[in-house]
Amino acid sequence: MTRTFRYFEKKRGHRRTGSKTLAIVGETVFFTFFLVGGVAGLFALYFMLVVPQWQANTEFVAHRCLVVDKRIGEKEGDDGMLYRPEIQIEYSIQGERFVVWTYDIWTFDPTGGYSAGREENQRILDRFEVGREYVCWYDPQDPSRVVLVRAYRWWLGLLFILPVSFILIGAGRLVYLLLFAGKSAERRSAFAQKAARLAPFEEKGSGAADFPAIPASVNLTDSPGTALAFRLPAAATPSVKLGATIAAAVIWNGIVAWLLVVSVRGHMQGQPDWPLTVFSLVFAAAGLVLVAWAARHAMVATGVGPTLLEISDQPLRPGGQYRLFVSQTGRLRLRCFEVLLVCEEEATYRHGTDTRKELCRVLEQPIFRCDAFDSGRPAPFEASCEVQMPDRAMHSFQSAHNEVNWRFIVRGKISGWPDYERSFPVLVYPSENGKEGK
Amino acid sequence: MTGPRIVIRLDENGRIYQPGDKLAGEYRMMAIDRDDIKALEVSVLWFTEGKGDEDLAVHDFRRLSAEDGDWIDPRRPGRFSTTLPNSPLSYDGRIVKVRWCVRVRAFLKRGREVVGQRLFRLGDVPAAKAPPT
Repeated sequence: MTRTFRYFEKKRGHRRTGSKTLAIVGETVFFTFFLVGGVAGLFALYFMLVVPQWQANTEFVAHRCLVVDKRIGEKEGDDGMLYRPEIQIEYSIQGERFVVWTYDIWTFDPTGGYSAGREENQRILDRFEVGREYVCWYDPQDPSRVVLVRAYRWWLGLLFILPVSFILIGAGRLVYLLLFAGKSAERRSAFAQKAARLAPFEEKGSGAADFPAIPASVNLTDSPGTALAFRLPAAATPSVKLGATIAAAVIWNGIVAWLLVVSVRGHMQGQPDWPLTVFSLVFAAAGLVLVAWAARHAMVATGVGPTLLEISDQPLRPGGQYRLFVSQTGRLRLRCFEVLLVCEEEATYRHGTDTRKELCRVLEQPIFRCDAFDSGRPAPFEASCEVQMPDRAMHSFQSAHNEVNWRFIVRGKISGWPDYERSFPVLVYPSENGKEGK
Repeated sequence: MTGPRIVIRLDENGRIYQPGDKLAGEYRMMAIDRDDIKALEVSVLWFTEGKGDEDLAVHDFRRLSAEDGDWIDPRRPGRFSTTLPNSPLSYDGRIVKVRWCVRVRAFLKRGREVVGQRLFRLGDVPAAKAPPT
């Protein structure tokens, strides 16, 4: 197949992939704008902010002047009135008399030097007395440019963050395009792998080099068990889930409470804002759902104790047999307690500007089940069981947008309480004899 | 098909390869003039198909470039050979699929490319069944 320029490449499912050439041209133009805009912004800021301050502080010549008047300059800003000190001075340079309104170098910028606090500007004005002489500094190139105060406003340097970030983003992407545009996907992949091998902080002994595209096992195998060789880490502990849910409920209901206060105040003052009232009530209803959800999590987290899962060996292999130990503490009466082995596929894809994730469970194998027992007192519930891995099962797999994940799920049903489910990821490697099991 | 194309043949045609096996074969370029070729890339790689965006990683990559003085003769078949890795194994899942292939890409003058691809299976993982309801 010979490829020439195309606006669209082949269709992929319901999606049509765009032309690579067109994409590269578009991307180059877009990031060139970023770079050029950043450079232009940087120069503009340099000449607007740095040069005038530097000139006033280093090139202006000291002189004597007489203060003849003073006032607060005012300007209407987006969030209210803005102020700056303005002092009228009189001075003579080589016989020529000048009368100028000034304070610092920003006075000569019609839009600059303003700030929100009138009192602060008044305090500056109070430092100068009409009829007294002060030192001033004038521009030898233009004696009408004169200042009473010389100083650097270092905080204005923060404005440079914007153009510099534009330059970094634009230049970074253009360098990437320069390196990889027109290169085949295979060549880019080979280049990326070579760079990854040279990475100085790559974890050694994680097995990643021997088993490409299988996640490193370091975090899953570094915790020894008490009954069996390895204790499996939980995917998310109940306290983390509980904390996140309570935080979400508090933040949401805090905002809702403020909306309700504004709304109720309007009603009490005889100026009801009905759209705001309806809006607040809808948000309040959502807030109640969040509170109920947080309460549910709190009930499970406090009523059901920690779940411990230990396994005789890791990583798992297709066709392999393993011993599993499970321990459940807590003070609740369980109707049902079960352990499942599941395998799930996870795909991440872009749809327009969204990134979406889809899960598909392809295996759910019951490992252990117990009905109607008292888990907590006086000792935690403990049980051992055998796990038989399916023959020729797919190993754990992880790439940028696609994954195959294995995990144990512990699921409990409690009388009069919400059910709970805890997840324990495990790694499955290809079988050692290379035949994926028996 | 009389246009430019690349045909790839594996030495043990159709068999399922296992990790550690040697994969070898040859490629032939059809209807391509020697003067037209600027570069040639031979890759043994895996890529994903399915619901997610495509991922790709090369296991073995070789590039011949006429500009660098490499001799590329389309009249003669080229050979490739590599030892296959432990993973990832070929997989035919519900929304995630892993495919292995040999891909030969010839870069011609005026920005044209000719690509030949031959799929093969690494490992014997059966296709995933329908998700439980």
